[in-house]
Amino acid sequence: MKPKLLHLFILFAAVTSWSCNDQCKETRVTRRFTNVTRSVMELRTMLKTESPRSLERPGKMYIKGDYLFVNEIKEGIHIINNKDKSHPEFITFIRIPGNGDMAVRDNILYADSFSDLVAIDISDPQNPKEMERIKDVFKNGNFDGGIWTLNETTGAINDQNVDFVTETVTVNCEDGVNPSSWWERGWLAERAFATAMSSASSASAPGSGGSKGQAGSMARFALHQNFLYTVTQSSLHLFNVATPSKPKDFATVNFGWGIETIFPYENKLFIGSATGMFIFDNSNPAEPKQLSTFQHGRACDPVVVQDNIAYVTIRSGTACPGTQNQLDLVDVSNPSSPQLIKSYQMESPHGLSIDSPTLYLCEGAHGLKVFDVKDKFKIDKNLLAHFKDVDAYDVISLGKTLLLIGKDGFYQYDSSNPKDLRLLGKIPVGKAI
Amino acid sequence: MKAAILIIIGCWLMAGSLQAQNHVPLKYTNHTEFGGLFGRVKYQFPGSPGDEILENRLNVTLQTFNGVMLSNRLSAGVTAGIDWYKTALLAPISGGIRYDLTKNGGVRLFTTADVGYGFAWFQDDIEGYRTKGGLMLNPGLGLRMGKAGGPAVTFTVSYKRQEAHIDKFPLWDQVERSEDRVYNRLALRLGISF
Repeated sequence: MKPKLLHLFILFAAVTSWSCNDQCKETRVTRRFTNVTRSVMELRTMLKTESPRSLERPGKMYIKGDYLFVNEIKEGIHIINNKDKSHPEFITFIRIPGNGDMAVRDNILYADSFSDLVAIDISDPQNPKEMERIKDVFKNGNFDGGIWTLNETTGAINDQNVDFVTETVTVNCEDGVNPSSWWERGWLAERAFATAMSSASSASAPGSGGSKGQAGSMARFALHQNFLYTVTQSSLHLFNVATPSKPKDFATVNFGWGIETIFPYENKLFIGSATGMFIFDNSNPAEPKQLSTFQHGRACDPVVVQDNIAYVTIRSGTACPGTQNQLDLVDVSNPSSPQLIKSYQMESPHGLSIDSPTLYLCEGAHGLKVFDVKDKFKIDKNLLAHFKDVDAYDVISLGKTLLLIGKDGFYQYDSSNPKDLRLLGKIPVGKAI
Repeated sequence: MKAAILIIIGCWLMAGSLQAQNHVPLKYTNHTEFGGLFGRVKYQFPGSPGDEILENRLNVTLQTFNGVMLSNRLSAGVTAGIDWYKTALLAPISGGIRYDLTKNGGVRLFTTADVGYGFAWFQDDIEGYRTKGGLMLNPGLGLRMGKAGGPAVTFTVSYKRQEAHIDKFPLWDQVERSEDRVYNRLALRLGISF
């Protein structure tokens, strides 16, 4: 070989060696918290009806008859006429500061407004009216990880505004431990445990007494007989709604921490928390009694129940500690002693809805999965469909119609054939009304 | 990934075309190599953005080129390999060529070029992580020691660029976290060809 070529070879090796630096950039979307103090007195004057507006940051949804209620996180509730599912019509927007959850009985909409529970007459959906307000019943809460607390002595809400900031940092290209270190894991768990409050999910909650609607599995409000059940981070709060327009503060049951969702089923209450599922006997609706706890690692876990089987999704990430992402099937035929049937690995399970034998499961940014659950031990082998092009936060199955909500908007499907959901209509985020 | 597949298909078509032009009888050739991927990384010290850390990186690589001789000096084919990065096991599949720069002698200089896509098929991610592969580029020079047209031992020096994307479990107050990774490595390989 000629010396020139050998020199070329050596030069190439040198240049390559000199330029060989791995380039790794981690992109993080992080919450930035800003502390703000709000006057409770002023907040109570801010509930009002506004002209319809577009979805911006949709939260939970609730359906009653032809009307659909969609929460705008911390802002209020959209009332939508859903008679024509292909062309739902925005009727009005009720500005309710600090709103995250809702339930409807007859013509009364119950909604939280930071520390208060408000009852709003929606018999004329274009002109809702505040009927009743129960003050200072909720002591703290959380929106998108920003915590608010009620200071009763000063009449103030100490709140945190949340902004989402994207940042890029160079990293070592070898991050493969989850989380990065054990002390981070511990910190994360504590932080999330303290804040994993308002990110609950939706399930088709049956019940009796009065005319009420249907919430998703992420719901923290549930109606059963003469009571409205609400869960806060650490307690179950009962309101007597025998006279729907005059709800009365009735009782509080303190338990656990990190309570997330509530699902009434027959005469039981299934409560999802960051540490497990609580089962309450609700034979006497005025006095729920805890029967058992189904423990799991710390994670967010909405629950739905049908035919004595509880479907519990466990999700890590965001305000949810832990490292599990799975669907647990739990036999609750003996509610005093729930038994695990089987766990299935999932990607990022959020809300779910069961319409036996079909299970609809939201996978967040990974879309919506539809399973046939006839064989409890082979659910993962019976994936009927996976819709990857939607962001799925929560879902409500109404038999032949499926309602789905996520960051990018609200979807309605014809679910006559669960294998082949047919999109009836979509309300995208930001669409002008 | 589509681009990579197109490149691989393009190489095959080009190979077929050249082979047809030269009317050289189709002859199978194999070049299998094993070696190391040498590199460095400079990154921000976590929690102290002003401070930087510099570290060396070394990973194992294995690849096999299977193709046809288009002329006495040029061969084209498909290269399949596997690279054991510390937290990513990637399997690049690429279209490649080998071209002898020198004709004669016991030691001949040759050039290599592989372009394709590194797949994360064999990566077993831990909970909360999802690794996806990316484009791969690997041009280089090598020394071939052996009789022309016969089996030879090779030593190659090449630049390897491998992209990857990792979706990660969010930490702290994060709602999303992902990493775009580019491995820029000096690949030193020993191999055999026939």
